[in-house]
Amino acid sequence: MNSSIVWRLLRRNISIAQLAGYAIANLAGLAIVLTALQFYRDVTAVWSDEDSFISRDYIIISQKVSSIGSLLGNSSAGFSEAEIADIESQPWVRRVGRFTTAGFNVSASVDMGGRGMSTALFLESIPDDFIDITPSDWHYTPGKDRTVPIILSKEYLTLYNFGFASSRGLPQVSESMMGMIPIRLSVSGNGSQQWLQARIVGFSSRLNTIAVPEEFMEWANASFADEPASAPSRLIVEVNTPGDPAIAQYLDVHGYESAGDKADNGRAAYFLTIVTAVVMTVGIIISLLAFFILLLSIYLLLQKNRGKLRSLMMLGYTPWSIARHYCIIVAAINAGVLIAAIAVMLIASALWSEPLASIGVTPASPLLSIFTGICIMALITAGNIMAIRRNVKRTFPQPHKP
Amino acid sequence: MINEISLIHTLPHAFKGMELQHPVNASQIWLQEVTFSRPAVYMIEAESGTGKSSLCHYLYGCRGDYSGSILFDGKEITSFSIDRWCELRTRALAYLPQEMNLFPELTVWENIAIKNRLTSHKSDRWINHALERLEIASKAHTRAALLSVGQQQRVAIIRALCQPFDFLLIDEPVSHLDARNNTIAATLIQEEAEANGATVIATSVGNKINLPVTSTLLL
Repeated sequence: MNSSIVWRLLRRNISIAQLAGYAIANLAGLAIVLTALQFYRDVTAVWSDEDSFISRDYIIISQKVSSIGSLLGNSSAGFSEAEIADIESQPWVRRVGRFTTAGFNVSASVDMGGRGMSTALFLESIPDDFIDITPSDWHYTPGKDRTVPIILSKEYLTLYNFGFASSRGLPQVSESMMGMIPIRLSVSGNGSQQWLQARIVGFSSRLNTIAVPEEFMEWANASFADEPASAPSRLIVEVNTPGDPAIAQYLDVHGYESAGDKADNGRAAYFLTIVTAVVMTVGIIISLLAFFILLLSIYLLLQKNRGKLRSLMMLGYTPWSIARHYCIIVAAINAGVLIAAIAVMLIASALWSEPLASIGVTPASPLLSIFTGICIMALITAGNIMAIRRNVKRTFPQPHKP
Repeated sequence: MINEISLIHTLPHAFKGMELQHPVNASQIWLQEVTFSRPAVYMIEAESGTGKSSLCHYLYGCRGDYSGSILFDGKEITSFSIDRWCELRTRALAYLPQEMNLFPELTVWENIAIKNRLTSHKSDRWINHALERLEIASKAHTRAALLSVGQQQRVAIIRALCQPFDFLLIDEPVSHLDARNNTIAATLIQEEAEANGATVIATSVGNKINLPVTSTLLL
C-alpha cells in the first residue's frame, strides 16, 4: 500500500513512447544477434556432420611434384618429422594424420562377368579416426581375419562407371555391388608372396586413395617391405577454421599442395563466418544504442522527478527503496524484450529449418543462442540498474562538505 | 539516539567575509559554540535573510555549504553514511520544512501515510484525531494542491509528528496560522515532544508558535 503511494508518485513523467522506442530498438538488436548466431550454428552443423556434403574440416596435403625431380626419377622424400611438427604447431591445425604407403608390391585380380581383370595396385592407410565412414567390418587382425577390408575413394567409382565402363562396354556398378565383388590381392616383396582375399567395404568422399586398415599395413609392411617404412608423402590435416587465408599462405610458402576442392568449401565457410560476424556486430551496435536510449530516457525521468525523489528521501526513504521501482520497470521491459527476441529467433530458425532439412541437415539446438540472449540481457539490465542506483543516490540529500 | 546537537563556529558560505557585519556579528549561533540538549524548546528568532532555513537544512543534513562543524553527540555529521541519515530521519530527527514539501498530487491522507507507513509510528486513529484537532478532517481526501497554505501547514505538522524523534526542527510552522490554530498546533507538538522526551527547535521571523520556550536565540 505504501509502496503503491510511492509508485503513484514516481510513475509520473514516465514516457511510454520512450520506453516503447527503447523496447523496439533493443528487440531489433537482440533479435538480430540471436538469429544470426542461430543461423550460423544451424548452417555450421552441416560441416561438423562427419559425412556431410561440405567436409570442411580436413585437407590433404602433399609436397609439390617438381618437373626436374620427376625427370630425374627422384620421388619426393615425404614429410620429415620436423616438417610434421611444424605443421602441427600451426594455430589452424587441430590434428595431423599420416598416410602410410605400402613398401611392397600389390596386384589385384577381379573376376567380373566372366572376364578376368588384373591390375597393379597401391595401398595406403591412415588412422581410423580420420576416415569419414566407419564400416562395421573395418578391422584386420593378421592371421585371424581372412579378408582385407578396403575403402575406396568415391571418385574412383565415378571414374570407373562414367569413364572406363561406359567407353569399354563394361557394366556399371553401384556401391553395394562393388562390395560384393571378391578381390584377390597378391602381396609380394622381400622374397615372399602371398594371396589374400579382399573386399571393398565403403567409399569415402574425403580420401582420394585406396585405404586399408592400419593393422594390415603394419603387418604387411613388416612381412613384405624391402626397406623400413619411408616418411609419409601425404598428410591429412584437420583444421579449425576452414578457408583461413593463413592455410593457403602456409602451404604456398612451404611448397605444399592441398588436394581436392575442399578449399573452396572452406572459403565459403570462411565467408559465412565473416558475414555472420558482421551481422552480429550490427545487432550488438543496435542493442548498445538501445541501451543508451534507455539510460537517457531514465536519466530524463529521474531529472524530471528529482524534486520528488529528494522529498521522499527527506522523509527517510532510502535511495535503494526508490531506485527499486525504476529497476523493476527496466527489468520487466528487458525480460519482455528477451522473450520476444528469443521468439523471433525460434520462428526464424523454424522458417529455415525446412530448406535445411531438405538437404539433410539437422538444425543445432537453440539452447546456446537462448543462453547468449540471457547473458546479453543480464548485462544490459545490470548496467541499467547500476546507472539508476547511482543516479538516485546522487540525489540523496546529505551534507557534502567541500 | 541523539542527545545533543552542537554547532561549533558554524557559518554559511554565503556569509563568508561578512564575519564582522550584521547579521553575523550579532548572531548567537553563527560563529558561536552552541549546544542544543534535551528535553527543551529553543526558539530561534531571525530576520529574513539571516540563514534561518539554511540552519534547518544543515541540522537535517541536507546541505553542507557551511564552514565550522555540526556535531550530533560529538560526531561530525558530514561523516554520516546514507543509511545513517535515513535511520536518523525516521527514528531520531523530525523536520517540518518551511516549504512543507507536500506532494501536490497526493491527498492529505496519502501525504501523511507516505511518512507514517515508513515509520509505522502512528495509528490511523491517531492521524484522524490529529486531523480533527487541526480542523482539516474534512480535507483528508482532498489533493494537497487544492489546500490553502495554512491548511498545508497543518498537514505538514501532522506528517512531521509521524515518527519517533529526539529533536524536532520546525521552520516557521505557524506562519500562515491564526492564533487559535497556532495554539492547537503548539499543543499537539508539545504533547508529542513530551512523549518522546524530545527537544523542539523552532524558528520564527515574527509569528511565533505558542510553545513554552526554554531558551530564545537570535540568529
